[in-house]
Amino acid sequence: MGAAATRVAAIWVTTRLAAVLLGAACVIWAAVPLPAHGPAGLALALASLGVAAGALRLALSAVPVPEDSYLLPTPLRLWLSFLNTLRLLPWEEGAVIGVVWLEVLHPARPWHTAVLGAALVAYLLAAHLAESSAGPGVLRPQARVLAAGVVLLALCAGAGMLPAASPGAGSALLRLLAAVALIAAGALVLPYVARS
Amino acid sequence: MPDTPGPNGRGSSPAGAQVSLRWRSSRHARRLLTLGLFALLVAALAGRPEFAGLAAPALLLLAAGRVQRRPPQITVVAELSSRRAFEGERVALGMTAAGQGDGQVRWTWHPGDEIAPVGVAAADGDQVRFVLTPERWGRRQTGTVEVVVRDRWRLTEGHATVVLPRLDCYPAPAQQRERVVLRRLPNRLGEHPARSSGEGIEFFGVREYVPGDRQRSINWPASTRRGRLQVNTFAAERSQDVVLMVDATSDVGTPGTSALDFALRGAAAAARAYLDARDRVGVITYQWGGARWLAPGLGRRQVYKIIDSMLASTGLVNTGAWARGSSLSRLPRAALPPGALVVVFSPLLDHRFVETLRDMRERGLAMLVVDVLNTEPPVRRHTADRLARRVWQMEQEAIRFSLRELGVPVVHWDGEQPLDLPLAAYTRRPLGAHR
Repeated sequence: MGAAATRVAAIWVTTRLAAVLLGAACVIWAAVPLPAHGPAGLALALASLGVAAGALRLALSAVPVPEDSYLLPTPLRLWLSFLNTLRLLPWEEGAVIGVVWLEVLHPARPWHTAVLGAALVAYLLAAHLAESSAGPGVLRPQARVLAAGVVLLALCAGAGMLPAASPGAGSALLRLLAAVALIAAGALVLPYVARS
Repeated sequence: MPDTPGPNGRGSSPAGAQVSLRWRSSRHARRLLTLGLFALLVAALAGRPEFAGLAAPALLLLAAGRVQRRPPQITVVAELSSRRAFEGERVALGMTAAGQGDGQVRWTWHPGDEIAPVGVAAADGDQVRFVLTPERWGRRQTGTVEVVVRDRWRLTEGHATVVLPRLDCYPAPAQQRERVVLRRLPNRLGEHPARSSGEGIEFFGVREYVPGDRQRSINWPASTRRGRLQVNTFAAERSQDVVLMVDATSDVGTPGTSALDFALRGAAAAARAYLDARDRVGVITYQWGGARWLAPGLGRRQVYKIIDSMLASTGLVNTGAWARGSSLSRLPRAALPPGALVVVFSPLLDHRFVETLRDMRERGLAMLVVDVLNTEPPVRRHTADRLARRVWQMEQEAIRFSLRELGVPVVHWDGEQPLDLPLAAYTRRPLGAHR
């Protein structure tokens, strides 16, 4: 009983810590160096707020909320409203949008973007594990699909690093279409691979 | 969230019930979708294929998770370890799910009113066990359980709400060991020594030997002194009829320690104590517009019948008979047998009830009132309020004085100490029926 409780507590702490660290790493990775042009500050603020609020939500997930919320003192009502806001808003989605936005403000750096993609997926998986209090073992069935996704991510990064055959928007669009077609093909085939 | 019918509404029957699941995307899936779509949008707008790669793992996960099997229904069994419990007693609630395939089940229990969880209120697994304790007597809904079935890839969640079986919570009986015994007991075998000779074990007196007396009962020292054979006689052992009377007209005080709480706990304790002594015990619950009664009876089950009858006064269970009218004169003889000891638990706040007590006393019933009033009007600064409070206190003292003048003992019980303490003066010697 004691060992099981210790294991649950360890999962609780490590998954939350992993989510926070991965989120912070994603923001830093996408932000540095902070572009001087465009709404970089806004994107950085959005990403930071998303990661911080998501971390706070995970940290306060075990705080109980009274069933009966009538005639509560004002500080307690404010605290409950804060908890409610924290639990309802999609903070991680905001963080993802902010991070991707930050990344696109930089000049093309495909390998950097690929690493960011892997870190973002890891962040989302860690956040999910933390909020459902599950161990990493529950991700085992998805391992093959995740591996395929990483391969596609690397291929797309490679496509981004290839020199354009001819200057202009046409070749960039072609490379993009090739990448999307690759992903679509993977998405069509993988369900059957995953089922088997 | 709409409630689905309880899996076993009649209580702890282990038969399962089919519960429909409402499937929807999980938060995790929505996040992956956000990443995938936003990255694709950025890739299209910026014309940079590496951002399409950013979307790849998320979109692949979502696509692969599409083919997961999602059962439309699962079977849920909710089982209470007991359908009846006393206040503060622990009851286990077992939840079992079947038919979810390889989905993972999460249970979140929302306890009902006056039901306190002991330990966790959320758990994972096909079979879980929660522990609860009812905090106050009454028919209690143990609450609802929110069931969430996650598919293997945790991309979709099936939600359902299960209404749990109800629990009948009995007032926790107070402590009572000693009993008040009447001076005149009916001619029925029991455990109380009567004021007549019989076949008991308590010494009663000495009389002259008559043929037929047992040789072992000869009192040799007395025979030697008197020169004739003397035999010991023993007190007969009799039982009595006890009618517990609970005043349910007023429930003043904090819930949990109110006058009605104490009245029910005291009556439950008295029922136990007298039934343990083989007395016949009945109950009359007096309330607005009438009284609910249960004829005196014997046996262990009578305790539960009595408590059920008392709880019926609050409309919680339907047990016992009902007599309309504020006067107890309409009660049948079976409910209030002549010569019975009447033990009343009341805060003595209702004047009609006090009049009823006087009426019963004048009819010759032996009575004893346990005053369970432990609260007073709040102390306020205004002179009029203080005066009103003082008038109220004097009125209460007058009520108790008038009952004592009629020969009805009134003892105060604070609900915390054993009932033996306030009753000590009356458990040491028999109680007379007449003035």
